Amino acid sequence: MPSRRYPTRVLNETVGGGFALVLSTWVLVRVFWGHAPPVAPLLSLSRREAAFVRAAAAAIFPAGGAVSPSGGEARIAVHTDRWLVQLEPRVRLLVRLLFFLVEHATLFFPAPGLDGFRRFSSLRLDQCEAALEGWRISRLAPRRLVFQGLRAIVTMGYLSHPPVLRELGLAPRVIGPGGALANEAPIDPRYAETGP
Amino acid sequence: MSGALRVFADYRGDSVEEADVVVVGSGPGGGVAAKELAESGHSVVLLEEGPPLTPDDFELDSAISMARTMRESGLRTTLGTVMPTMQAICLGGGSVVNSAICVRTPEFVLDEWCERYGLRHTTRADLDPHYDAVGEFLGIAPTPEAVLGRRNTLFREGCDALGYASEPIQRNVRGCRGSGECFTGCRARAKQSVDITYVPAALRAGARVLTSARVEQVIVAGRRAVGVRGRFVTPFTGRVTASFEVRARAVVLAAGCMATPVLLQKSGDLANRSRQVGENLRFHPGVAITAFFDDEVDPSFGATQGYQSFQFLREGYKLETLWAPPAVLAVRMPGSGHALKNRLARLPRSVVWDAIGSCNRSVGTVRSRRWGDSPRLSWRLHRSEVSILSRALYTLTEIAFAAGARGVMAGVQGVPEEIHSLDAAQVLRNKDFNSGDFGTGGNHAFCTTRMHGDPARGVVDEFGRCHDVENLYIADTGVFPRCPSVNPMWTGMALAHRTAASVSDAL
Repeated sequence: MPSRRYPTRVLNETVGGGFALVLSTWVLVRVFWGHAPPVAPLLSLSRREAAFVRAAAAAIFPAGGAVSPSGGEARIAVHTDRWLVQLEPRVRLLVRLLFFLVEHATLFFPAPGLDGFRRFSSLRLDQCEAALEGWRISRLAPRRLVFQGLRAIVTMGYLSHPPVLRELGLAPRVIGPGGALANEAPIDPRYAETGP
Repeated sequence: MSGALRVFADYRGDSVEEADVVVVGSGPGGGVAAKELAESGHSVVLLEEGPPLTPDDFELDSAISMARTMRESGLRTTLGTVMPTMQAICLGGGSVVNSAICVRTPEFVLDEWCERYGLRHTTRADLDPHYDAVGEFLGIAPTPEAVLGRRNTLFREGCDALGYASEPIQRNVRGCRGSGECFTGCRARAKQSVDITYVPAALRAGARVLTSARVEQVIVAGRRAVGVRGRFVTPFTGRVTASFEVRARAVVLAAGCMATPVLLQKSGDLANRSRQVGENLRFHPGVAITAFFDDEVDPSFGATQGYQSFQFLREGYKLETLWAPPAVLAVRMPGSGHALKNRLARLPRSVVWDAIGSCNRSVGTVRSRRWGDSPRLSWRLHRSEVSILSRALYTLTEIAFAAGARGVMAGVQGVPEEIHSLDAAQVLRNKDFNSGDFGTGGNHAFCTTRMHGDPARGVVDEFGRCHDVENLYIADTGVFPRCPSVNPMWTGMALAHRTAASVSDAL
C-alpha cells in the first residue's frame, strides 16, 4: 500500500531528476557544443581544443602593445596543432588534459561577472585575462604550474611566428661560408616571408 | 676495414649480429667507447635508438625541435621538486643539442670522490691523460673573441668590475659562427658533436653502427653478460617493428644516467646486489636571470655559452652566460598580457646568464615504468641547498648591475618580477625560500649507477666494470659518485675513454 507521503516523494524525485537532467544537459552543452570552427585544417587538435588555444593565446598576447601581432594573428593554434602531432602519445594526453582542465575550470570557479560560469573559450577577453591571472598568481604551486605550462605552450607558438621574431630582431640568420656570422646577414628564408 | 652505418630503412626483418663488444648509446660516453675499442682492433656494434640528423633536420622552431630530438618530446620532468630535464634521442646523443661546454672536473672535487667512495685511481692526475686524449681529438679550445658577442663580454665586464675571476668557456667547436643555435643543432656543423667526430672515427675503424635500434634487455648467461636484444623503432614516432639481438663478449652500457638504470631494471634487476641501481640521482639544478640594458645587446649573436666564472665553485655554484631559442627564453619571463609583451620587446637589449648548483644532498631515483620505456624520475631539492640557488641568483644580479644593467628578472616566487637595484636584490640573500619557489632546470644528471670501491655500495668500479656481472661495463655519467660541480660532458668522455681501455684489456 502506498504511503501517505508517496505523492510528495514522487514530486521530489521528479523535480530532483529534472534538475539533474537540466544540469547534466547544461554541462554537456558547455563542454561539447558550440565551439567556433578552426581557421585552418587541423591535424591533431579538436575543434574545442583549438578554440581554447585561440582564447588563451588572445588573453596572453592581446592585440596592440610593444609587439604588434596578437596571439590570434600569430596563428598559435596552428602551431600548437603541428607541435602536438610530434609529441609522444603519453605527453600528448597530458597536454590535452591541461587544455581540458583550464577550459572547464571556469564552469566551477567562475570568471568575474554574472556570465562568468562559462567554459573558458566562451568568455569575453577581459574575463579570460582575469581567469588566467587567477591561475598565475595563485598561492597554490600546482595552480601556478598549470598556468606556466599553458603559457609556455602559447609562448612557444608566439615566438615561432616569423613576423614576431622579425619585429624583435631575433629571426635566425642565413649561415653562409667563412668567418663569424655577421649580424647584417640576411634572415633565414624560412623566417623572411612577409605577412602572418 | 670500414664499418657501416645502418638506418631504419635498411632493416629487413629480425636480425642477429655478433661482435666482440656491443655499445648501447651513441652519446658522449658510447661514442668514445666505440671509437677507442674499434681502433684497438675489436669488432664493435654501436646501437642508438634515435636517427642520425643532418643540418636539414635541425628545426629552428624550438618546440618542434625539442619534440623531435628529445625523449618524451622534451617535456620530461622530475616528480617531487618539479623540474624539467632533457635527454636527447639521436645519433650523437646530447652532444648534438648541448652548448659544447667542456670543463675538467676540479681537483678538489675528484679528491672528494676518491675519499668518500673508496676510489684510488680517480684523481685529477689519473684522469688528465684521458681528458687530454678527448680534448685533442675534439679540438677543445677556449671560445675565440670574434664570436663572443656582447652578451658574453658584458658578463666579463661585470665580473671584472667586481673582481670575480672569469674566463672564456672551452668548447668542442671548430669554426664557430656565433649563431647561438647550439640547442637546436649546429647548422654550421662547427660543433664537434659525437655524430660527426667519434662515430665516423669508429666507422672508419670498422664499427657497425645501428640507428633506430632500441635496446630492451641485457642478455646474461650465469654471471656473464653475453649480449643485448631489442627492437627497431621508426624514427621520431618510436613505433616498434622487427627485433634484433647482438651477441658479444662484452657489453658497454652508455645509454645515459636516466636510461641505463631502467635497462638494468628491465633486465631482471641486473647488477643490483648493492641496491644502488637507479638510486642517488643527482642534478646540477640551474637557475637564470634575464638582465636588460639601455643599449642593444643583439643577444642572438655570439657563442651560445661563451663565458663562465668558477669564483664560487667551492660555495656550490658555477656561473655561465646563456642563449637559447627566444621561445625558450620567453617561457621564463614573468607575467602575461601587455606586461609580457613589453618584456619580450626588451629581449634585443637583454642578456640571460645562468648558474648551476652543486647540490649533493638533493637526491632522487630513476625507476622503470610498467608500461613504456620512459623512466619515472623522482628528485627533491634539499631544503639546506635552496640557499645555493638564491645566492647564485644574487651573484648573477650583482654582476649584471656591475655591467650596467637597468633591471633584472630572477624568476623566483616571492621576489619582485623586476629588480631595479642591488638593494632591492638583497631579498635574494635574506629571504627564506622554498624549493618550489625557483624555476629550475636540470640537464646535468648523474650517479644512478655510481662507482664505488666497495661492491656493496656501488654498481661499478672506477674502471666502469660492474661489480656483479662479468663483461658488463657502464660508460655514462651514471657512474659519477657525486656532482662534478662543473659541466659533465668532458669528464664523462674521459671516464669512458678509460673504461674502453679496461674493456680492451679484458678481451
